[in-house]
Amino acid sequence: MLDFSVLNPYFPMLLAAVWITLKFTFFSTILGFIGGFILALITLSKNKVLSLLAKVYISVFRGTPLLVQLMLIYFATPQLTTYTISALEAGVLSFGLNSAAYISEALRGGILSVDKGQWEGAMSLGVPKHRLVLDIILPQAIKNALPSLVNESIMLLKDSSLVSVIGVADTLRWADLIQAKTFRAFEAFIVAAAVYYVLVMALNVLGSYLEKKVRVSD
Amino acid sequence: MIEIKHLAKHFGDLEVLKDISLTINKGEVVTIIGPSGSGKSTLLRCLNLLEQPDGGSILFDGVDIVGGQVKIENIRKNACMVFQHFNLFKNMTVLENMTYAPRVVNKLSKEEARDKALKLLEKVGLSNKAAEYPSRLSGGQKQRVAIARALAMEPEVLLLDEPTSALDPEMVKEVLDVIKELAHTGITMVLVTHEMGFARDVSSVVHFMDEGVLVESGQPEEFFAHPKTERARKFLSTIL
Repeated sequence: MLDFSVLNPYFPMLLAAVWITLKFTFFSTILGFIGGFILALITLSKNKVLSLLAKVYISVFRGTPLLVQLMLIYFATPQLTTYTISALEAGVLSFGLNSAAYISEALRGGILSVDKGQWEGAMSLGVPKHRLVLDIILPQAIKNALPSLVNESIMLLKDSSLVSVIGVADTLRWADLIQAKTFRAFEAFIVAAAVYYVLVMALNVLGSYLEKKVRVSD
Repeated sequence: MIEIKHLAKHFGDLEVLKDISLTINKGEVVTIIGPSGSGKSTLLRCLNLLEQPDGGSILFDGVDIVGGQVKIENIRKNACMVFQHFNLFKNMTVLENMTYAPRVVNKLSKEEARDKALKLLEKVGLSNKAAEYPSRLSGGQKQRVAIARALAMEPEVLLLDEPTSALDPEMVKEVLDVIKELAHTGITMVLVTHEMGFARDVSSVVHFMDEGVLVESGQPEEFFAHPKTERARKFLSTIL
């Protein structure tokens, strides 16, 4: 029968594993947002060469499985460079690069949906382009793209479980280890699922809060 | 102050401005009228390079701004535009809308910019709206804020592109009143409008355009009473 008490000795380990999942999601999200911003600005810029490169990048990262990208970065980096990349670094890097592609598309849509008059209004007052993008266009673009951006963070959180494959001691890896030790697969994995669900719900709440906050100007 | 010489502009095959030459003196209120599609808005937008002319020159105090010798931001901060659709920054309050460019472009301190903005808001009768977001204002109020925002830059010339065309009829007057008051302060203004009565009342010079050509220019009393060209007569008879 079901017996969750067998998990008791392993809960401290679970906390450490959840912490890794969170840390991992946090750093890949940051990397993804920064990369996404840069890519979005490049694809919208008038520089044809850079813009084409960015489009190729986005196409490749969206067109291949995340797990393949992860393994490629983790196993091929030591082969191509002399650097021994840690599992955590490989994970953050591949997820960050991957989500940058998705985030840039969300932001690009957000930027394009900002009324052209907002650009002209600022330009006609002599505001330089970089300031106008930062202070007027991006805040409105982020607002427009907020639902997709929150969604992207949720995807990242869930996809972070993929790093267990390369041995990062995250939440899913914890469940895998525990079921090997205790032969209690259901208990172990259902706890892992519950943890992910709670974290995703927390992100959802944060997302709704942010959406309410950016709506003050409506 | 502004001398336009042989200005030309086309969009693709369409010639929107054909060999336009005119002079705008300091302190003049210049109105440009004409049927839709006559190129009047394009001409106005060329004055602060929101449209890049394809030929000719625009001398601003003797300096040609066409061709890229002058930094584009330096032209625009001295030739601020008021748009048909207001173009207030949606993510900023009324006060932020008005202090943003003075702080970023003219490097005013927060306090200086704020004081100036509040004074201008009072002038346009909207002191109580400083903390509101534009979405909470009526069209007429938005346009008054947009005018005040442009004035906060202390431009050498104020450009107004059909400032009342997007307004409900009952709001047109409040905006025209603000512009009329401005016209008496000695500021240089170039105004594209469909409000003929208003053009007659406030202008020092009227320019009539049709199909990209500057057809006729004159004093308002003269132009509206005795238009010299057939095209102007026809235009006036259809709308007056």
